[in-house]
Amino acid sequence: MKVKEIMVKDVTSISPETGADEALDLLQKMQISGLPVIDENGKLVGMFTEKNILSYILPSYIEKVGRFIYEENPKSTKKKFMELNKIKVRQLMRKDVVTTTEDTTVCEAARVMLTQKARRIPVVDKSGKVVGIVARCDILKVFAKEAGKSIS
Amino acid sequence: MVKKFILLIFISLGLGILTKHIGLNSQQALAISIFSVSILGTLFFWDFRLSFAFLGTSVLLISRTIDLENIIKFSSLEVILFLIGMMVLIGLLKEAGLFAWLVSLILRIRNLTAKKFLIAISVISALLACAVDEVTSIIFMVAAILEICDYFEVDPTPFLIISVLATNIGSSGTVLGNPIGILIATKSGLSFEDFITKAFPLMFLCLMTTICIVGIWYRKTLRELDNKIKELGANEILIRLISIPLEKQLKICLGIFGTTLFFISLHHRLELFWGLEPNTILLVVPLISAGLVMIWKWRRARDYIEKDVEWWTLLFFLLLFAQAGTLKYTGATDVLAKNLARLASNSLPVLISIVLWVSTIGSSILDNVVLVAAFIPVIQSFQSLNLNLQPLWWALLFGGCLGGNITMVGSTANIVALGILEKEKNIHVTFFRWFWIGLTVGLITTAVAWLALLFLPFYR
Repeated sequence: MKVKEIMVKDVTSISPETGADEALDLLQKMQISGLPVIDENGKLVGMFTEKNILSYILPSYIEKVGRFIYEENPKSTKKKFMELNKIKVRQLMRKDVVTTTEDTTVCEAARVMLTQKARRIPVVDKSGKVVGIVARCDILKVFAKEAGKSIS
Repeated sequence: MVKKFILLIFISLGLGILTKHIGLNSQQALAISIFSVSILGTLFFWDFRLSFAFLGTSVLLISRTIDLENIIKFSSLEVILFLIGMMVLIGLLKEAGLFAWLVSLILRIRNLTAKKFLIAISVISALLACAVDEVTSIIFMVAAILEICDYFEVDPTPFLIISVLATNIGSSGTVLGNPIGILIATKSGLSFEDFITKAFPLMFLCLMTTICIVGIWYRKTLRELDNKIKELGANEILIRLISIPLEKQLKICLGIFGTTLFFISLHHRLELFWGLEPNTILLVVPLISAGLVMIWKWRRARDYIEKDVEWWTLLFFLLLFAQAGTLKYTGATDVLAKNLARLASNSLPVLISIVLWVSTIGSSILDNVVLVAAFIPVIQSFQSLNLNLQPLWWALLFGGCLGGNITMVGSTANIVALGILEKEKNIHVTFFRWFWIGLTVGLITTAVAWLALLFLPFYR
């Protein structure tokens, strides 16, 4: 089975110039953790996820320091969250995006998701335009169907 | 990019041709040419430095400039293993929350004043750089400074610069502070005790000088902080927010690290006692500690090795040392050393001055490990000229560490700290904002070290 048979063709995306707060609202509304970022020519330029926002809000040195030292959230997290309306999606998005093509097999797409730790991967054509998106749950549904089970 | 590449090839070829012209043979000239590609590669193409090191070492082997046996001998595996052991231990300490605890200690300073803060961050930065490496220590010093400055709403930049200056100075105090410390220790035969009795006091003198300079330089900033402290009533509220208890695991990890430092500091005596080769215990202690840690935390052992050990940097060091060794193997450094000694009329004070100031200026632009790796075989070659090498090793150590303060790219600690400042506070420090204070501190502290090395018989 090929990716084109299971991908979602109607892709919701955001522009690199969208405000980070607006993009976060959209993620919350759609109840998903990430969206592809597509420029005015329809080309994929990045992926914007909740993780990007979290890593912006938390101090960059926290991984090296090892842990937080406060009992309550520090002032800086609130301040940084307030600044999200001044930040564009392009400043926070991940630019190095894992993609797949329509003719890739579902198993290969699953392997890519697993090894690259991606929840959903955009499907692009030869010119780099996004033609669909495939998520982990789409692939699991295929596997379930083949095993004669159904998952909602 | 293309221009830089052409410049790199041009300089390297030029150096090769020039050195051949002044009497070096073809192999010596080739070794110098390839080593200069690695040095210039770090300057022009930082991200590609390992590729240059791989290719350069291959050319040295294929052209028979050096053989396999010697390239392995010169790659200084002992230094690499020491650094791996220490990196595993640092990974454990980070995981146990030592650094978070240290940050909280700094934030908890009672009855805070600007002067107290200045002295505390300078002394703690320097001492921590002595105990762990400078890149690790600067990260949590920056964390503590940003938290305090955030709380009092003052510009963190001057305090961050002070901390970096003190870190670079502090890294010369022990074998552990900087990779050049262990590199010099293994090549010179100087022990940890030599570092503590000779390098540490001089480092401390440079640190005190620096505290005085920055105290005057940033007097307005200090006054502003004092006003803010009076306005907001010290850091009492901040202290109440902090919660980092000294947990059992952290105590154990501190114990392991303390024991490691204890045995490292006694390495020379233990080697004499057991009749071991010089530096055996120095290199074995971090390996024993890391080995025991990996038994204790066996589920995390792979993570310590794969994530906490900086393989990219270590592989570059390994090949760089091998290439620098080729300079010695071919005899190129003997010729250079002879010419240098002739230039200095075989006078030790002149040679000390040359080594100190060239390494200071050089390490303000280049990575200090690259510079020291290049200098080591030259200094070793002075031995055949019957010169006392010890002051030259100290000159190299202090030049390599103090020069890093001069420019904002002079040392990894500078780059790491300024990177965090830009990311967290969106503050971009301009080249000259750093340069004037960096140059003042760099030149004065080097002058302090220079005078000490020239006039104190203790360093001879």
